[in-house]
Amino acid sequence: MSCPYEEDLTAYVDGELAPARRAEVETHLGGCAGCQGTEALLRRTVASMAGLPEYTPSPAMRREVLAKLDALPPTLGERLRALLRPSVLVPAAGLAAMAGLALYTAAPSEPVLEVADAGTLELAMNLEVVEDYDVVGLENGEDLEVIASLHELEVR
Amino acid sequence: MMLKVAAGDRRAFALLFDRYHVSVARFALRFVGDRERAEELTQDIFVKLYRNAKSYKPTAKFKTFLFRVATNHCLNEVRRGEYRVEHTSTEAQEDEGGLEVAGGEGDRPDQALAGRELERAVGEALKAMSERERAAFTMCRFEGMAYRDIAEALEASEAAVKSLIHRATLAVARKVEELQTGSVPARSRA
Repeated sequence: MSCPYEEDLTAYVDGELAPARRAEVETHLGGCAGCQGTEALLRRTVASMAGLPEYTPSPAMRREVLAKLDALPPTLGERLRALLRPSVLVPAAGLAAMAGLALYTAAPSEPVLEVADAGTLELAMNLEVVEDYDVVGLENGEDLEVIASLHELEVR
Repeated sequence: MMLKVAAGDRRAFALLFDRYHVSVARFALRFVGDRERAEELTQDIFVKLYRNAKSYKPTAKFKTFLFRVATNHCLNEVRRGEYRVEHTSTEAQEDEGGLEVAGGEGDRPDQALAGRELERAVGEALKAMSERERAAFTMCRFEGMAYRDIAEALEASEAAVKSLIHRATLAVARKVEELQTGSVPARSRA
C-alpha cells in the first residue's frame, strides 16, 4: 500500500505545492523511508532529462509552413481588404459614379403640360366657373359681361 | 503580435514561428515518437494557429494558448488513427538524421551512448502512458511549464495535472532505473 503523501512528491520536487502542504510533506519525509526513496528517485529522474539528446527540427519546415499559408483560400476579411485597396476601390467608385450618371440622364422625363397661350391658362384656372355657366345655359356675350361685373353692381 | 497575425500579417506569423516552432516540434516528437510525423504535425499546428489567431484572447499566455492548440491537434490526430505512437529506436532515428546528441560532436562517446539509452527508456515509458499523461509530462519536463499553465492547456484542474505528472514521472523514473540497474537488457526491449 502506498503512502498517502506519495501523490504529492513530484509536485514537491517541482516546487508546485502550496506552502502549508509543502511544510506537511517535509515533516512527513523526515520519518518515512519509503517516501524518502521515492523523492530521491524522482529528483534523479528530473535531473536526468537534461541528458536527453536534443532535437533540431528540419530547417525546411519554415518554408513549408509559409507555402501552406500561401495555398490557403482567402478568408472573407482578406477578400474584403483586397476589394478596399485604393488601386481597386478608386476605379470601381469612378465606374459606379459614371454608371449612375448614365442611368439618370437616360431615364424618361415626366410628361410636361404644354400651355398654348395665356387665355388657355386662364380658362384652366377658372374651369369651375365655366362649367357653372354651362349648367345655367349662359351663352350670350352681354349676359356674361353682366355676370362679370356683378360685384360692381352689388356695391352700388 | 498575435493581433497582427489575426489581421493577416505574415511577417508577425513568421516571427512567432521562429520563436516557438522548436518547442512545438519537440512536443510533437515526444507525443508521437517519430521525427517526420512530428514535423508534419508541427506544420499543421502552425497553420491552425494562423487560421484561429482571432480566437486568441490577449489575457491568456501565448505559450499556453499555443500548447492548447498543439495538444488538441496531437490528441485528435492520434485518436483519428492518423498517427500511431512510435517511439522508434534511437538508432533508427539517427539513421534518418532525426536526433542530435546534446552537446554536439565534442561529447565523449560514453556520454552519447548514455544519452541514447536514456532516450530509449524515456521513449518506452512515454509510449506506455496515457495521452494526457504524455502531454502533461512533456510540457512540464521539456518546456518547463508551470502546473497552472499545463492545466489551462489541457483544460483540466491543477489537481488533475499534478496527478498526471506524478504518474508519468514515476513511470519514466522506473524505466530509467531499470536501465541504470540493468534489470532488463536495454537492447532486448526495442
